[in-house]
Amino acid sequence: MSVELSDLYRSLSTVADGHELTRPESLRRFADRRARARIAGSTLAVALLVGGVAVGARLAYPADGAAPLPPPADTAGPVPTAATPRPSTPPAPSTPPASTPPSPPPSRTTPGTSSQPATGTAAPRSPTAIPDRAFFVLAAANRTGMESRGDGPALPVLCGTRLASDSAMVQRRGRYLAYKLAQTPTGNVPDGSYRHTITIYRAGRANDAVRELRRAVRDCPDQRLPDDGRTWRQRLLTSGTYGDESVLFEMRAPMPDGMGEPGTEEVRLVRAIRLGDVVTVLWEQGWEHTAAERSQVDADSRRAVAAIEDWLN
Amino acid sequence: MRDAQSFDDFYRSTARRMVRYGYAVAGDHSEAQDLVQEAYTRAWRQWGRLSSHPAPEAWLRLVVARLATDRWRRLHRWRAVLSQTGPPAVAPPPSEDGVLLVGALRQLPAVHRQALALHYLFDMSVDEIARETDVPVGTVKSWLSRGRSRLAALLPDLCTVELEANDVS
Repeated sequence: MSVELSDLYRSLSTVADGHELTRPESLRRFADRRARARIAGSTLAVALLVGGVAVGARLAYPADGAAPLPPPADTAGPVPTAATPRPSTPPAPSTPPASTPPSPPPSRTTPGTSSQPATGTAAPRSPTAIPDRAFFVLAAANRTGMESRGDGPALPVLCGTRLASDSAMVQRRGRYLAYKLAQTPTGNVPDGSYRHTITIYRAGRANDAVRELRRAVRDCPDQRLPDDGRTWRQRLLTSGTYGDESVLFEMRAPMPDGMGEPGTEEVRLVRAIRLGDVVTVLWEQGWEHTAAERSQVDADSRRAVAAIEDWLN
Repeated sequence: MRDAQSFDDFYRSTARRMVRYGYAVAGDHSEAQDLVQEAYTRAWRQWGRLSSHPAPEAWLRLVVARLATDRWRRLHRWRAVLSQTGPPAVAPPPSEDGVLLVGALRQLPAVHRQALALHYLFDMSVDEIARETDVPVGTVKSWLSRGRSRLAALLPDLCTVELEANDVS
């Protein structure tokens, strides 16, 4: 028996109509409660950030001005913001450890560089494979349990630029992981997500990757992306000290109608960090057009560095 | 200042249509309810401005479609996780045809589902869909045509005469 598409849509409507909807009064109450919670959360985050920086500056920075030591991969960072409080229990591995045999520590062939990097030792390393433990674990307060090893690009499109250093890749592994801010109740929709990749380059070529990325961002101040009518603006930011060197850039576009908080912009942050011949990229992709928070990306960048240093050392 | 009464009236007069639309573009009823509730939550937050919008329902549809598209993309990324946890239990279907259609729609790109839903649930013409989605008319025609062809392939009992007739509208 043949049916018409319009009949099928009528049937679909019947199915949809069979479910009760929330009353408008309840919906308004929910919306107002959430808005108040967000405002309170933001205020608390700023207060804790200011306090945290003051306290952290005393505790984490030695008197001689040297940079702080990195956190171990399975603990919170030394200068946590409100978004990343120290977890009360040790975090569980985010990837099944059983699938990766323990990797012997790579032999260090040369001593560290003359200038001590902020995140610890920096001897040139020549790994050939990326174990699961090279991927950092989110702080307990930030976990959503959503992680996937799907394929995908390591970096956003930058005016169609292709990085020549891609030809020098030895291995790349990546994952997607969703996170929540510390003040977001468990079970809520995540506050953001990362595309996180780790790439091993042939000896000496990781520097090229970072340099080419920096140039690609500089050469692409604005662009339009496929399936997106907005103009995105890119600019380099001061990254801070992560690994041997790092690049941080932001992408900004007007929020589409109805997305995000009224009057705000969609902001994506991308940080590439080089540690010897390894480059890790943390690309904050948001969640339903949320704007990336620098403090959260910084905290997770520190975790990413610490996990790779643990692996390489 | 937001007027709760006008929002409640707007909600009551549009919510049912919006859930149907959400169901057609999201392909899952609980997902649709979640999307629609989120869209109305955002609408209430901006109601002071939105209440004077020339077409608040179109604004709402846009938000639902964007939320659905974003989640659809993510579902593909998270499919490894979802396959571990398994989908939620499906309630007994009151209408087999509707469920068949939703099953087929899930295999279409989000923009095709959006265009088809606007056409079949809101009787919108190609021009109107183009205006609402802010894409050229030719793109909408292509979405509708490809969407129908794919549905015809997925639903063997679908009457193809109607598809051809509507394609030229």
